Amino acid sequence: MVNHTEELLPPTPGQRVSKFLSRKDVRQTFILGAFFTIVFVVLGIWVYPHWMPNVLSKEMQADEDIMIWFTVISAPIAGVILAIAMESFLNMHRGDTPPEDGIAMRTHTPVVIIWSSVSVLFIILALVWGMVSMNTDAVKAATDAPNALVVDVTGSQWAWSFNYPAQNITTHTLNLPVDRPVTFNIISADVNHSFWPVQLGVKVDANRLTTTVIHTTPDKIGVLDVKCAELCGLYHAYMETSGQVESTTDFNNWVSSIQAQGGTQ
Amino acid sequence: MTTLSHAPVSTRPIPNPKRSLITRLNMGTGIIVGAIFCWGTYYAMRAGRDMTDSHNVNKVLLASMLMWSFGFLVGIGALIGPFRWLIGKDLTAEEQLYLAGDGQGVKRYFKYCTDHKVVGIQYLVGVMTMLGVGGTMAMMIRTNLATPGSHLVTPNVYNSLVGLHGITMIIAMIIVATGPFGNYIMPIMIGARDMAFPRLNALSWWVLFTAIPVLCSAWFLGGIPTGWTAYAPLSDQAGPGMNAFLATIIIFAVSTAVAGMNITTTVIAMRAKGMKWNRVPIFVVGATISVALAIPAFPTFMLAMIQTGMDRTIATGFYDANVGGSGWLYANLFWIMGHPEVYVILIPGVAALMEIAPVFVRKPLFSYNAAIAGFAGIAGLSVLVWAHHMYMSGWMPSLNGPFMITTEFISVPTGLLFLVLVGTLWRGRPWMKLPMLSVYAFLWNFLIGGITGVYLSDVPADNYLHGSMFVTAHFHYTLMGAAFTGAMAGLVYWFPKMTGRMLNERAGYIAFWLIQIGFNVLFLGMFMAGAEGQPRRVADYAFVYEHSNMISTAGAYSVGIGMITLLWAVVHSWRNGKIAPMNPWGAKTLEWTVPYPVPLENFDVEPIITSDPYGYGKAAN
Repeated sequence: MVNHTEELLPPTPGQRVSKFLSRKDVRQTFILGAFFTIVFVVLGIWVYPHWMPNVLSKEMQADEDIMIWFTVISAPIAGVILAIAMESFLNMHRGDTPPEDGIAMRTHTPVVIIWSSVSVLFIILALVWGMVSMNTDAVKAATDAPNALVVDVTGSQWAWSFNYPAQNITTHTLNLPVDRPVTFNIISADVNHSFWPVQLGVKVDANRLTTTVIHTTPDKIGVLDVKCAELCGLYHAYMETSGQVESTTDFNNWVSSIQAQGGTQ
Repeated sequence: MTTLSHAPVSTRPIPNPKRSLITRLNMGTGIIVGAIFCWGTYYAMRAGRDMTDSHNVNKVLLASMLMWSFGFLVGIGALIGPFRWLIGKDLTAEEQLYLAGDGQGVKRYFKYCTDHKVVGIQYLVGVMTMLGVGGTMAMMIRTNLATPGSHLVTPNVYNSLVGLHGITMIIAMIIVATGPFGNYIMPIMIGARDMAFPRLNALSWWVLFTAIPVLCSAWFLGGIPTGWTAYAPLSDQAGPGMNAFLATIIIFAVSTAVAGMNITTTVIAMRAKGMKWNRVPIFVVGATISVALAIPAFPTFMLAMIQTGMDRTIATGFYDANVGGSGWLYANLFWIMGHPEVYVILIPGVAALMEIAPVFVRKPLFSYNAAIAGFAGIAGLSVLVWAHHMYMSGWMPSLNGPFMITTEFISVPTGLLFLVLVGTLWRGRPWMKLPMLSVYAFLWNFLIGGITGVYLSDVPADNYLHGSMFVTAHFHYTLMGAAFTGAMAGLVYWFPKMTGRMLNERAGYIAFWLIQIGFNVLFLGMFMAGAEGQPRRVADYAFVYEHSNMISTAGAYSVGIGMITLLWAVVHSWRNGKIAPMNPWGAKTLEWTVPYPVPLENFDVEPIITSDPYGYGKAAN
């Protein structure tokens, strides 16, 4: 008699949730979701540090961190999508006639609201992260300016040349002293190029008659690759050079050796 | 959902306006007149000009190419109607019926035919040809990149391959769903007898057709060195092949504008009785939003190209910094088109999958309103995000923050598209036919494309990734992995209605897996190359990128074999496939209520709509 009365009452939210969670397909979806989330987290943490070249500056570290952590943060979202897809895939019907109709669920307002809110939160997190990272770079550039090493970079079809005005030398390799801020002033002699010292994690286009400026501080010693990242015609692929982040002594020796050659490499 | 009776196919008398000019014009006469206009212009303009001056060469070539297009339209009879209006008349009813191509068999596919179903098939064959050509170029690119220092092609040929692969695929992908299915299926889906402007419909296809030989001529004029983005001042410096690119875009923009206006008007004005806005099939909504977005987008590309043309012919210097112009002006105009354009490509593909998923899961589309909000939100935001392509250009670094905000917020409506599809799958028992498999492939591919898109939209990460192979892999995941997968599903799904036959299932499955697995190997390898620091559009690379490029090329061959298998399946099934029943998938949209071949004006009795087409399912427990 009591049971009968209870069944006539609408279920409380708590009862509905526990009924939902006790369903076999729901539990399977949760397990699949946890699995895919872990896969994405592991991939995010493992893949990029393995793929990306040596990190020689804080800017490069910031770039790599964004790629790692955005993958980790989006892992649960990927997990939910892939789990639901996989659950339904495993439940497939094969044959030449369509299966029976499923449930006539046309929408589910709480789910739509939660889904949209979570994606807004995710975006705000990504935005704040990006803004803070951008702003840190900008502040650092402004405070670093006084003792910075200035390098005037010229892109031309199809070579880079570097002029160090204070040292009065012009070179085709990019050598930089470690732990000293550097300011690149970039210009093109012809079409657009894009100046990309790969391991420093900064990049900007070289434009005709307009100078673009980027700042960075190399903080580790290592080999640098300089590439062109904007299609610039016939030998775009070969518009690359190398360089070195080295100790201040090595850098000064290098400068002296170039000056001894008459200032050009 | 509909009240409809099936009377036998109408047997109208076939009109034969004897000795009328209209009956004698076709693609052949178009080509002849076009060639005469082209060569006439070429020789007339060459006379007395100093052809060692590149400005004069550009003038002559550009004018000849545009005159070819105009001449072709004259020759195929596109201007007969407008000419009659000039003298205060119009085509007779008999001539109009003739133009609709009723009872003319295969010949009508080579004529200025106003029947939307003929135009749909013309687009389908045209798109498949373009994808074949663009795909062959992709295979050549990947073969050249298989090993470092291969030098299979010269750097000039390589750059042309990259640029022409890009533009061919972009054009093909813009029309891949709205061309064939938007023209053939969409009017039937909304219960219309034809498009709103049947003659403009034929015009949009034949204008596009004239762009194909123009684009091909780039190869014979020395290729293009600029990639499909055609950035200035590289495009000012480029050789005569660049004119072919400019003319192609100008012609294509006309075609898109005509098609966009026509599709939008048809959907707004010609829906069947009772088809309120909340009963319109989702594919129709997606296709309409897509073409409506194209209407404002492409004119800026056309303008950008006209200005490039003026720089190259009369030395105006819009984009030449040496005389006070700016390459950034071009980049802005280009990307104001360029970013909406990727959503013009994406939306119809997703919409096709949303149309397909409920049919095979036998559940209503989950949250129709969220789907529309997703499409509309994407379309609205997409016009405000263009400068994220220019974070690293040096143009206005102070705007990087605002553009980062708009760009990242586009993830919210995009997330709704995922919600609609996974919501439809939820608790479903999907009928695992070929079109349904594409839904799963889409979810995986677009997830990867979407997540990597979030890094790219974040300015600091873009410092590293901009201009690298990572970007190339990202946009292939969205355009090929998502949009093409959707279009391929659409092809398999609507194949029975468009050809009267079922697509060969076994070949279809083989093609599907070869393409999807190969695609993921190809572009995951390319993500690796990009993260390692390989710039995009390079003909050669250092040994450190050897493994990632090898992986990519291996994947590319799998995609290539898959595409050939798909082509075989389409051609073979079209000729000898199993005859399709009227409604092989048990779907509820209107196109499945008409027989094959679809009668001239689709419906004998105009359908009346009483509900949306997603009334599947039993009550929830």
